[in-house]
Amino acid sequence: MAKENQAALTIQEEFANKIKAENRREKLIKWAPVLVLAALIIVFTAARGTAFFSASNLVAILNQWAIPLLVALGLTFVIMLGSIDLSIDGTVGMAGSIASVLVANTLNSNNLGIFGIIIAILCSVFVGFLIGLIHVKLKIPSFMVSFAFQNICIGIAYISYSGTPATITDPLLKALPKTSFLGIPFITWVALIMLVVCIYIQEFTPFGRHIYAVGTDETIPRSVGINVDVVKIKVFTLAGLLFGIAGVIGLLRLGQGQAGIGKDLMFPAQAAVVIGGTSLAGGKGGVINTIVGTLIMTVLINGLTMMGVNPNIKTGIQGVIILVAVILTVKRGATVISK
Amino acid sequence: MEKTNNAAKSVSWKNVLKKNYTILVIVLMVIIFTILQPNFLSAMNLVNLLSDSAPLMLMAAGMTPILILGSIDLSLGSMCSMANVLILSLMKQFNTSIENPFGCFFLALLITLAVGAVAGTVLGLIHVKLKVPSFIASLAFMSVWDSAALLITSFPVKLPKALKASAAWYKISIGPIGLPLILALAVIVIYHFVMTRTAFGRGIFAIGGNERCARIAGIKVDKYKVIVFAMNGFCAALAAMFLMVKATSSAPTVGESFTLMCISAVVAGGTSLVGGAGSLLKSIMGVFIIIIIKNGMNMVGVNVYWQKVVYGIIILLAVAISVDRTSRSRIVK
Amino acid sequence: MEKKLLFSANNITKSFYGTQALKGVDLEVHEGEVVGLVGENGAGKSTLLKIIIGVQPQTSGEMTMHGKPFMPEDPMAANKAGVGMVFQEQSLIVNLSVGQNIFFGHEKDFKHLGFVNWSKVYEESKRVLEEVNCGYINPRTKVIDLNFATRQMVEIAKVVNMTKSGHDNQKCLILLDEPTSVLNEAEVQNLFTEIRKLTAKGHGVVFVSHHLDEVLEISDRIYVYKDGENAGNMDIKDATEEKLYAAMVGRETTTEYYHLAQQRKPDEEIVLETKDMGLSGVFKHCNIKLHKGEILGICGVVGSGKEEICSVVCGDLKPTSGELHVKGRRVNYSSPSQALQDGILMIPMERHAEGIVRSMTVAENIALSNAPLLSERGIVRKKKIDDQANAWIQKLRIKTTGKDAEMMSLSGGNQQKVVFARALASEADIIILNHPTRGVDVGAKEEIYALTREVVAQGKSVILLGDTMDECIGMSNRVIVMKDGLITGEFQADAGEKPSQVSIVTLMM
Repeated sequence: MAKENQAALTIQEEFANKIKAENRREKLIKWAPVLVLAALIIVFTAARGTAFFSASNLVAILNQWAIPLLVALGLTFVIMLGSIDLSIDGTVGMAGSIASVLVANTLNSNNLGIFGIIIAILCSVFVGFLIGLIHVKLKIPSFMVSFAFQNICIGIAYISYSGTPATITDPLLKALPKTSFLGIPFITWVALIMLVVCIYIQEFTPFGRHIYAVGTDETIPRSVGINVDVVKIKVFTLAGLLFGIAGVIGLLRLGQGQAGIGKDLMFPAQAAVVIGGTSLAGGKGGVINTIVGTLIMTVLINGLTMMGVNPNIKTGIQGVIILVAVILTVKRGATVISK
Repeated sequence: MEKTNNAAKSVSWKNVLKKNYTILVIVLMVIIFTILQPNFLSAMNLVNLLSDSAPLMLMAAGMTPILILGSIDLSLGSMCSMANVLILSLMKQFNTSIENPFGCFFLALLITLAVGAVAGTVLGLIHVKLKVPSFIASLAFMSVWDSAALLITSFPVKLPKALKASAAWYKISIGPIGLPLILALAVIVIYHFVMTRTAFGRGIFAIGGNERCARIAGIKVDKYKVIVFAMNGFCAALAAMFLMVKATSSAPTVGESFTLMCISAVVAGGTSLVGGAGSLLKSIMGVFIIIIIKNGMNMVGVNVYWQKVVYGIIILLAVAISVDRTSRSRIVK
Repeated sequence: MEKKLLFSANNITKSFYGTQALKGVDLEVHEGEVVGLVGENGAGKSTLLKIIIGVQPQTSGEMTMHGKPFMPEDPMAANKAGVGMVFQEQSLIVNLSVGQNIFFGHEKDFKHLGFVNWSKVYEESKRVLEEVNCGYINPRTKVIDLNFATRQMVEIAKVVNMTKSGHDNQKCLILLDEPTSVLNEAEVQNLFTEIRKLTAKGHGVVFVSHHLDEVLEISDRIYVYKDGENAGNMDIKDATEEKLYAAMVGRETTTEYYHLAQQRKPDEEIVLETKDMGLSGVFKHCNIKLHKGEILGICGVVGSGKEEICSVVCGDLKPTSGELHVKGRRVNYSSPSQALQDGILMIPMERHAEGIVRSMTVAENIALSNAPLLSERGIVRKKKIDDQANAWIQKLRIKTTGKDAEMMSLSGGNQQKVVFARALASEADIIILNHPTRGVDVGAKEEIYALTREVVAQGKSVILLGDTMDECIGMSNRVIVMKDGLITGEFQADAGEKPSQVSIVTLMM
């Protein structure tokens, strides 16, 4: 019966049906992240009950959410371009390390206070700018440039404190991570403020719209006179800013600057962005998707820890999540070329 | 008339330079390091340097054809870590029932190599059949192998005394050149022969140059690509064994820095990221460049952390030189 | 008709790499007029539109707009002068809203205190949409949620607005390149209503389509182009499908050109047969029989499904229905390498994208499909590759400095000969020629025809998608005509009894 129906369709109808099926699939994929998040919460609540769904654990989740959110926000814009940034581990560690040796610390007599923090963040911004510049002007794939910079920055981080990590002694900076406002920790507030800034950039500036356009098809913005190269460099610079802030916050939380601050941040961030629905092909998704994505990752890690899963498995799970999310969204077909 | 002759001459000079720049770089570096630290050219250091290059040589053997395809494998180092702890833990396991250390070694090696090849195959299949770009698929696998390594053992393990005999071969040398390097070079030369003299190898170059054309021309694109990834896994596992034997111990993070070093070596040797061109023999020179830098910086007493910075810059430089920027409209993501 | 002249193009020529795409064409559009533009593929329609919108410059000739000289450097300059184009591939950003697309690139005009005032953008968009009578489209909807017809209207609204801003009150010229190819019948009617409303306001429209009935319905005047030249300019009152067909097809070329004397009768043996084959959404009910020693031509416009049939037969795409039989055996290819084992090989249309590997030498390119044949115990003999290359270079008179020359140093025709040499060396006996003479000069064309005749004389079979209809008819033993994914006709084309181009074109469009 179904076959007969098919035979009765004209080619145009077949074509229309194909498009419709694709749209249906798109819609489903659009809502999938939210469903996954809900499912995770339900599963963990069922398994651990009030231990998971308690006020104290929710605050803990919010607390754990801050740094992954900051990092993922920066990465979101890059992925929306269709590019990628693998420098995260390095830039975050570098910003944290540089900040630690510029403020009052146990290693040297520097005491630049807030300026030290700003300089550290500016270093990270500059790295982001360089990645963008080299990627765009020398036409080197972004993954390669950022991968090289990941290593360069880890090197710089170690060099900045030459082997012995510096513990910060600035009283104000030491107190900051312990302060909270309206029950939400200071660190989380910073992340939330940056979230609002990112939503503003994405939704209310021409730049935000141009990111989507560059990710969809570079020739369209080019034909209306938008400088695509500048858009890309700006995006990588913005990512550098967010990674820098994440590095400083990591430093505040740890109290000590080390290259390791950035370690293992990249995978959760990539996984969060991709699972949130921002496609690696570019032009799709955005900050809101990343909120869901980072929440999924944070809840997952928190829940797995509560369930007593071997922590070593967690990285592996993140890799599998990235892979599954990409497999579900990637364009396929006999004639598609992927390298 | 004379003018054109001169022009032709200078062009050919340029070509000679372009083709042999790796040798020039190596000579230059040797001179610089010798000036900075005369001991650099001492016999002991040279033996050291050469034997040091064997594992990286093997990794480069696996990676070069992948870059020729235009793909990349970022999971190489993690794969090495996993194989490194796997082989030692297997040997210890087998030692409970098999007395002979060589028996344990070969059995464990066999299994490790098989695991490496299968791991490479899985990565290749996911990349080829599911059309996931290789950089992202291998990135995901990087975390999977890291996890697997830590699950096997989360701390460094020493090779037990009873098994030490199986690692003695690593010290054998013929003149200044050690057995490990000879084995590694043998692998490269054989693979080079396969790449240049078989239908498979020619297919790889064609796929890297123009995958659509290769497919239409009837080359088994998918199969060949998967084989290259499988070979890469095999080479990584073999390199991991070398690392274990050399150190007579294993560590779950031993491979971490090798991904970068290996890619640096291959691109410094002259294989471009774009695909379609390159050579395993060139990668030998690339490996020597990287190893000389590493060894030289150690000898001169440069902070070990600078090395990461230097490798990163080498990659950027080498890629920047080799990337084709002629067509302005080409979109790079 | 006392209508004011809006746009004119006089004696425009354009040559690429020695081949002339336009040999001097004219176009005039008056205010409030819809001008239809028809012609075969390669007649020069798209080239002219690209020149008008500033994507590429003409080689010679002049254009005027509003009576002033018009020479746009890029599409933006063309927009400023009042010319806008709706491209065949849509240029909307699907994840942005309708309003954001309409004012894409002009967001700065709406900035207030650092925020883009989106509600103002949407208000303006509403006005713009109403202007083209599309007030029913909500400017806040994302483009991805709209159907193709509505997207087309948004695209038109965007182009109209872009071209108008800068000089109000002025009339603009809108170029529509195949706007109906993604629309169904009702949607086409809808589009026509909107076009009429546009022209009622005095704007001019150029309408390009392969569907002659549509062109006849909407146009006030119709230009026919053929081989880069004007082939007619008729008022709608005088135009009929027959007249258009007659104007579109070219003169039939001489017998020698296609070596008709060598056209031989194919054997009875069927080497390839498709049974009710289909590819969802592209073509269906495809029944083709290819005989041994036959040249089978397939005619049809771009999008008729002929390209995809070739892709399916050579194993590049998998059919979604029906069967493919090769040499009496049912086959199910999943890649061209499997098809090659049965002796099927395609010479692809896009030479640079699919035909040659630039990083390899001439000899290596020739050996691409037959490396296994050249190896002994798995090892490829370099000498065999070189010998083979030298032999083919000589036989096909490939102009090159030698077998080790780089592919890019060869001219287009010689590159194509290399691709031919590869197919012939591969020992494939079913060869699919997909536009074998595209971008090839006249001399090389004739050699390729002679070569094709030689190939079938050896008992091989050929499926030919001709670059021109003339070529397809001239070379083939039999011609199949396709339209919108269906086979609409089949003609016997024996030497001396070739079907007329008009009879084929009637079934094509």
